[in-house]
Amino acid sequence: MADLVNLTIDGIPVSVPKGTLLVEAAKTVKQEIPVYCYHTKLGPAGLCRVCLVEIEGMPKLQIACNTVVGEGMVVKTQTDKADAGRAMVIELLLVNHPLDCPICDKGGECDLQDFAMAYARSSSDVADPKVPKPKAVDLGPTIVLDEERCIVCQRCVRFDDIIAGEKQLVVKDRGARDIIATATGEPYHHNFTGNVTELCPVGALTSKTYRFKSRPWDLNRTQTSCTQCAVGCQQFADVRYGTLLRTMSVETDDDISDTWLCDRGRYNIGFYSSPERVTQPLYKKGGTFVQVDWTDAIELWAKAIRDALHDGGPSGVGAIGGGRLTNEEAYLLQHAFRGAGVANLDWRAGHQRQATPGAKSGRLADIENAQAIVVAGQSPEELAPVMWLRVLKALRKGAKLIHEREASAALRQAQGDTMQSVALIWDGIDLAAGKTFADAFAGVAALSTFIASEQGNARGAEAMGMLPGSGPGFASISNAGRDGWGMFEDARNGKLAVLSIFGANPVRNSSVSDAMNAALGSVPFLVVSDLFMTETASHATLVLPAKGALEKSGTTTNLAGDLLPVNQALQPPDGVRSDLEMLFDLCDALGVDLPAPDALDAAVISAAAKVPDFALGDALFKTVACEERQPEHRPILSGGGTWQHDPTMAPLSAGNGVLV
Amino acid sequence: MPVTKVLTAGIGEANLRDVNVYRERGGYKQWERAVRSMSPAEVMDLADKSGLRGRGGAGFPTGRKWQFLPKDKELRYLVCNCDEAEPGTFKDHMLLEEAPHLILEGMLLGAFGIGCHHAFIYIRGEFKRGYQIFCAALEEACKAGYVGKNIFGTGYDLEVTVHRGAGAYICGEETGLLNSLEGKRGEPRLKPPFPAIEGLYGAPTVVNNVETLAYLVPILEKGPEWFSAVGTERSKGYKIVSISGHVQNPGNYEVPLGTTVRELIELAGGLRPGRKLMAVQPGGGSAACIFEEHLDLPYDYESMAKAGSMLGSGAFVVFDDTTDFVKAAHNLVRFFAHESCGQCTPCREGSHWMERVLERLVHNKGVPGDLDMLDRVSGTITGLNLCALGDSIEPFLKSVLRRFRDKFEERVLREETMNV
Repeated sequence: MADLVNLTIDGIPVSVPKGTLLVEAAKTVKQEIPVYCYHTKLGPAGLCRVCLVEIEGMPKLQIACNTVVGEGMVVKTQTDKADAGRAMVIELLLVNHPLDCPICDKGGECDLQDFAMAYARSSSDVADPKVPKPKAVDLGPTIVLDEERCIVCQRCVRFDDIIAGEKQLVVKDRGARDIIATATGEPYHHNFTGNVTELCPVGALTSKTYRFKSRPWDLNRTQTSCTQCAVGCQQFADVRYGTLLRTMSVETDDDISDTWLCDRGRYNIGFYSSPERVTQPLYKKGGTFVQVDWTDAIELWAKAIRDALHDGGPSGVGAIGGGRLTNEEAYLLQHAFRGAGVANLDWRAGHQRQATPGAKSGRLADIENAQAIVVAGQSPEELAPVMWLRVLKALRKGAKLIHEREASAALRQAQGDTMQSVALIWDGIDLAAGKTFADAFAGVAALSTFIASEQGNARGAEAMGMLPGSGPGFASISNAGRDGWGMFEDARNGKLAVLSIFGANPVRNSSVSDAMNAALGSVPFLVVSDLFMTETASHATLVLPAKGALEKSGTTTNLAGDLLPVNQALQPPDGVRSDLEMLFDLCDALGVDLPAPDALDAAVISAAAKVPDFALGDALFKTVACEERQPEHRPILSGGGTWQHDPTMAPLSAGNGVLV
Repeated sequence: MPVTKVLTAGIGEANLRDVNVYRERGGYKQWERAVRSMSPAEVMDLADKSGLRGRGGAGFPTGRKWQFLPKDKELRYLVCNCDEAEPGTFKDHMLLEEAPHLILEGMLLGAFGIGCHHAFIYIRGEFKRGYQIFCAALEEACKAGYVGKNIFGTGYDLEVTVHRGAGAYICGEETGLLNSLEGKRGEPRLKPPFPAIEGLYGAPTVVNNVETLAYLVPILEKGPEWFSAVGTERSKGYKIVSISGHVQNPGNYEVPLGTTVRELIELAGGLRPGRKLMAVQPGGGSAACIFEEHLDLPYDYESMAKAGSMLGSGAFVVFDDTTDFVKAAHNLVRFFAHESCGQCTPCREGSHWMERVLERLVHNKGVPGDLDMLDRVSGTITGLNLCALGDSIEPFLKSVLRRFRDKFEERVLREETMNV
């Protein structure tokens, strides 16, 4: 425990560690000190001057954001002098502020509005017109800036510099004429731009996707985990009248997101309300899709599996998926198929071979304190953007970034010998390389390894048993089946009768899409569960319309092994079902015993808690039945496709389970 | 008249820009003596004993400022502040153009005194001629072996870098200067940390004014007792006073501190015939006015402070009865609004707001409440700002607003004449 310093704030005794800033100390006893430029993650800047407090023994008012607590300090936040200073600062901020609150998106969650109500005078002496500045400035692809509303707290400028490491935003001009702009005049564009709209204490920086869409008090807010990559940032999903309007960061989420969101997690949300979503099961009949109802779809699916098992045995049936499902769904997926006797199970449909780093798995916060960050394979900058911010944080503290390309095996060995703490971030693709790196740094006292997966719940899928060689909690399986690539090869050779793919698009994510098209085209009965008519789904015999992550509840496991909640924030379109619901129905139809809901939860928690004793490149993941393929950089997002929903198309079945 | 030529000795008589002329008059002797036979601690001690105080405006004891440097950090810098921009001040400008070697020798002594090996001089952007003169002088000094490696064969290295600013007043504030010198936007830094702990490029740094450093040369030559023998109890030595405004012979006058205000006015030739003194701004644009009742006060740091003003940079502006104080106030507030860096709220918004109100007053378009607003806003923002610029707006404005309130009230529209 660090040395404690004792002081009083408004008469309330406070004990905080030495070196704490007054503004943070006040939070511990819930005494509000208003701030604009100060931010916990950005540190003090001393610009807005609104956090004025009176400290006994000091003649002038002090700013709480840059005052370090002292033993015996007597701090008063509510004296006539402090009130007058604060009121003056807010009055001055309003001199040139347009006060267009009725049409401002920030209205209702604006610090200027709130503090003006709380601390400022209600009248004004201003007799002159306000300074006109540019309005609705198109700052870049994501952000619109209103210079008149800006109070020049420079939070956005400082975020861009010290957190994102981009330095694109600057203050231009001087004095009362100063404006926020990009230094070069180029559009403001990087992976984290959306955060400045949240940091902005007023309505100057707004997201294009949210402008003029809603009032904050009209939003239904749900806290959930972002599943678009494997970091699992906590976020709020804000929904109005059934439409997802925005996602926001969670300011208490120090462990996972460090309170930031990347632009992918923040802005890639429009697909939920896309008119291109598949909203009814589709069955391919005579080369074209026809709509069927769920009862028929499940029966067609179960019948195909039953027939294939009967005709050719379990080797003719396979299932791929889990990396984009919840843990519960991944668990039920392997439960349903293993229960029916199927052994060909894998979550891996792309290049990645491994998602669980095993015994040396690290916590995200470990990255900040590492002396060296070793990056093996693809950079996590795009794969896990918010994790990259932790890397930048470590680099600012003086850590070294060692990239695979820059380090020979011998050099890595040497560095491994001298380093005390290393964070090793690997893309999980080349198992041999992963093993080499793990061996090179095996001697490091504090080694934390991370695998930046392409799919959000890849690690969860592995723990839930969606691997051909291991069951839930990495329990070993006596009769290991084929892995993903093996199944595709079997498919190409006509050995696979029924293949079910859940939330994966191997055609798009494969570097050999022709071969993949051929393989999937040769499967007599291909079932694809997805939100859209993807390239993969277009090969399917049966397309099952699935719910997106914000339309269902469950859990997900991030790349650091944290078991995180996925909470339903949105009503799904009519006709779609979650993979969990489909799999329950499939279990029923196949005669597989259903786990009780409580038992399912318990099984998931117990499987997720297992920390397997293996390292990077472990043999467990080497069940490749066909040749290793060279990885290639590919877009990670799924989506797109060719299916157009046609509401006039007549359903094929009468809804009674009998095909017309 | 108590004119004493110390730093100004030889100016206007000899070409002190020539290193040979400067040397003939005893130049660089103190530098050679310090490097050859003195320790940095001895130089620091002399500066401390002399009672020399910062001549840039704040008047902080120079020796004390040096002693704030942490003892355990060897890398440190000296920066000479030649960003002279305080309204009414023109002493550094003169020294730069007329006595560049004196400034350089003072810088070298200062750098040696704090034990650093790299000194910088930040020259105001508008001083292009002075910049060229100083660069030429530095080149001569380098050739002569006064600057560079192994000075006088003693093994002591000292490099000097000349930087020309871009003309922003705020870069005269020492941390704004350091940011500008580092190539950043010229904005003052949040303190603490102070430059003595974390200054230029993160290293402990001393920022001293041109005149302060130049006085080190005669102090070393004649001893600290010679310097501290003149002046008043706590304001020792000499000061170059830039006298301007409504006097007959405006210019730089070097005098012992403690010379009376009246003597200074007389030194500059007095007022024009038939005119009456209304006010004196004794310490630059940031200082409050003093009035005829203060004429016999000694011109030193303490007396000026006691009169509610300050000695500042020694800019002494005289106002006679032809002055329009509304215009004068507008002129100064406009200057501060224009030069405000815009970082902190009170200075950015307050200065700009007051400027607009004063502009209306100048054009006889004041409205009721304007004068109270000026009084209230200028007073409240003082002490709330990130740096001293915002605190500099109040003194002059408030002193003339209170003294000549009737002149301001004449500019306010009466309610019955207002176009409602």
